[in-house]
Amino acid sequence: MVKLSPMNLYQLLPKTNCKECGEQTCMAFAFKLVSRERELVECRPLMEDSKYAQQKKELEELLKPLEDATETGMIIYPERCVGCGNCVVACPVNVSEDPHGCAIGLGPKNDRVILRIVDGKVQAYNVSTCRRFGKNKILCNGCIVTCPTRAIEFAEG
Amino acid sequence: MICTGCACLCDDIELENGKVHNACIKGVALIKKAQNTHFTPVADGRKVDGEKAIDEAITKIQNSENFAIYGLDTVPLRAQQIAIDIAKKTEGYIDDASSLCMGVFVEEILLERIKSTTLEEVRDRADFTLYWGADPFNSHPRHISRFTYYPRGQFRQKGWEEDRYLAVVDIRESYTSKLAKKIIMVENDEEFIQSLIDVANGNTPSAYLRDAVELITRIKKSEFGVMFGGLGLRYGLSDIGLLKNLLDELNNLTEFYFIPMGCHPNMRGFNELLFASVGELNSYSFRDGIRDSTFSFSSLLTKEQIDTILIVGADPVASLPFEIASKIAKANVILLDPCPSYTSKIADVVIPTSVSGIGAGGEMIRIDGKKIKFEAHSLEEITDEYVLKRIEEAI
Ligand code: SF4
Ligand code: SF4
Ligand code: SF4
Ligand code: SF4
Repeated sequence: MVKLSPMNLYQLLPKTNCKECGEQTCMAFAFKLVSRERELVECRPLMEDSKYAQQKKELEELLKPLEDATETGMIIYPERCVGCGNCVVACPVNVSEDPHGCAIGLGPKNDRVILRIVDGKVQAYNVSTCRRFGKNKILCNGCIVTCPTRAIEFAEG
Repeated sequence: MICTGCACLCDDIELENGKVHNACIKGVALIKKAQNTHFTPVADGRKVDGEKAIDEAITKIQNSENFAIYGLDTVPLRAQQIAIDIAKKTEGYIDDASSLCMGVFVEEILLERIKSTTLEEVRDRADFTLYWGADPFNSHPRHISRFTYYPRGQFRQKGWEEDRYLAVVDIRESYTSKLAKKIIMVENDEEFIQSLIDVANGNTPSAYLRDAVELITRIKKSEFGVMFGGLGLRYGLSDIGLLKNLLDELNNLTEFYFIPMGCHPNMRGFNELLFASVGELNSYSFRDGIRDSTFSFSSLLTKEQIDTILIVGADPVASLPFEIASKIAKANVILLDPCPSYTSKIADVVIPTSVSGIGAGGEMIRIDGKKIKFEAHSLEEITDEYVLKRIEEAI
């Protein structure tokens, strides 16, 4: 399936750079869609011109996971998750917050962790402590590279 | 609570407001199925109460001339021991799934011909882990996060990037191999084992030169290495001696261990109990007083040598090859199991029992030899132990 990235969104936009959305280019608009500073409806040509109907549908499909994404842009695809716990155990925040639980491979022993497994699927809590959050964010990928089914992705890659 | 969904026997499972915490989907499926199935006792096609079904099972066993017990890998030690006693009393055959999977490895370990260790030691010490012919991400979903690659351990505090090395040897790519630092795809397991032995001895192998050199170099650099052998290795190996030679060579390079990737939660328990009572692991005939591959459950079925079968916690109709499985229905089948299955559809007597870890407490021996104790979570159904005890006392 197509990955949610600015490039893939751009491919589906009108690519006319008409500036109606307030951005200089469609590419810039695509970036802001991913960072959720813009919404698809702001591209008027796409909404109104029927020749873009198919692209509009595909874009809406592609952007859907973003609606449930956490403030860090984390997107969880529960249907791909088997609850293996790799991400739970590898997340550096889980490790430092829970040295006797997650850090040594067990389920969380307190409520400060970010990732935990409920009913066999990963869920995110305390996202403000995620290393990708806030001003000093870094591109931590602890929960992405440890998941072979790509059940966790970040909108910004 | 404990999960008996696979050989990891995860003991950090919690139930809260109908939600299951920490278990993988495989475990959750088992726990929810146990909570939601309504499975009724059956005797000869009629719904009966549990005690009546047990009486019917006893009659069938008493009238049997060639009786076999099969399964047992998902029930606690005490139930397994009673089953062994029943087989002894009836001079019957007894076998479990290990005759088709990890039995050969477990035997080498019990005879101390192969060095093994516990999963906790692996977590605390291992800096080199090799899965050979196994895909734990599918078969044992939490194996990698609890024991081998991602957890911090006493002597492995820095995390997987720096502190651990994961390699996979397999015939194809898998989700597990995607996580590994090194994947080696082999067509011929024995050839690759020989190559590793050659390189370890300073000789040039006839195949897999680069991969063998890379792995051996890694192993030399490591302090504690472990190989997990799965079904792929088991079936790729005609001579267990070759694996033993390899492990001996690796032990000259560093501390090196082997753990089988058995799937059933208490297969090792059955193997150890039978070993303690008759010196054999499986495929045993109490009438002949020996173990032989012709006494394995599938051989007995092929030869149509049994008239009555007691199946405990297994679904051989689904798991055995069709030609063999289709013969099961020719015998009288008594099934003890928590959930409906293909086998329950053809069984003459069905006695629903509780899921180990949920409705039955006890002890199991994890695949690495560690004894795990657990309590029942709720006590609603009858246990395998109870049913087997009733049978044992009656015959
Ligand atoms: S309104 Fe749509 S077509 Fe116009 S520049 Fe913005 S994104 Fe491109
Ligand atoms: S990005 Fe890093 S800190 Fe945030 S949840 Fe994933 S692993 Fe944890
Ligand atoms: S998100 Fe991926 S790594 Fe995390 S528990 Fe689910 S399957 Fe495992
Ligand atoms: S890994 Fe195995 S024992 Fe652990 S929760 Fe999953 S099925 Fe249960």
